[in-house]
Amino acid sequence: MSDPTDAPEPTGPAHPANGLDDVVHQRVRLGILTIAHEARRVEFGYLRTQLELTGGNLSQHLGVLETAGLIEVEKGYAGRRARTWVTLTQAGHTALAEEIARLKLLISRVETPGGQ
Amino acid sequence: MTADSVPAGDDPRRLLADSRRLAHRVRLAQRVTWFPLLVLAAVTFVAIPVQRWAPRAVSNCQPIAGGTRCTFWLVGAFVYWVLALVLAYALIAGCYLRVAQSRGLSSRVAPYVITGIALAVVLTAGGLVFHYLLTPPYPGVLVGVWRLVEPSGAIGVALLVLSWLERHLALLLFTVVYLVVVLVPITFGWGSHWGSRWGFAPSLVISGGLLMLGGLGFLLTQRRGRQR
Repeated sequence: MSDPTDAPEPTGPAHPANGLDDVVHQRVRLGILTIAHEARRVEFGYLRTQLELTGGNLSQHLGVLETAGLIEVEKGYAGRRARTWVTLTQAGHTALAEEIARLKLLISRVETPGGQ
Repeated sequence: MTADSVPAGDDPRRLLADSRRLAHRVRLAQRVTWFPLLVLAAVTFVAIPVQRWAPRAVSNCQPIAGGTRCTFWLVGAFVYWVLALVLAYALIAGCYLRVAQSRGLSSRVAPYVITGIALAVVLTAGGLVFHYLLTPPYPGVLVGVWRLVEPSGAIGVALLVLSWLERHLALLLFTVVYLVVVLVPITFGWGSHWGSRWGFAPSLVISGGLLMLGGLGFLLTQRRGRQR
């Protein structure tokens, strides 16, 4: 099972902060991607509880990710109750892995003496 | 440091820590560790009467001083173990999926299905090789291999795989203890003179009992964790 938090650090001369994607480099949206990656498919209610958001706020973040093609939102029913499911797209998996790798690189540059 | 600004709330350390914490929470919500242990314990306990009364194939009978020595193969038990473990893993995969869905998540079922199939293949191959290609008494190394590919050992190997899939340290530690008990059979002396019909029972009682205790332990721990 792959874990984006175990992703290798990218190499190259460019500073890792230059490659940060504004869509992903945001606490809530990174949280959504992480949970969706780990869970394979996650329900709106679980995301709202874990990320401590209002429904409207979460919807806005989901809209940003969906527009960027990083997630798919599926609406349906479980019994009589309406449900919204979120699934990561392939682009979402890639974006998450790259973000995690860049975060690790940023941290290592800050922590390594002379690595600024 | 870079001249590019990074919002304070999006500090890399905090983002990475949050990401790991959320991933860990999802794994915890998906875990139902007690269920596979209790199912496998049940499979092990049911194996006792099956091994006792299921048909067995007797071959290579040779007269020896004071009687006859034969090789026998527990065909019925062999078939039971393969079918029971495949069914057990199908049940385990179904349970994981159902529990995850009830918590608003999905779950990767494929690893459990693959583990079940691999277990069936290892058991079948091991049983056939030891029955058709090798003749007892086995040398020391083969005895160790035999204990790993026989049902109780194979269950331990499968649990080892599950502990890795779930990144579950407590399950890993439990599995190590279980494998030690299975690979170094402990009978406390009982059953050693019960003959071929019941002689296997103590080791199955102990391995099944260990699985049951482990399952109950994980169930209690999980319940306490949820109540907090």
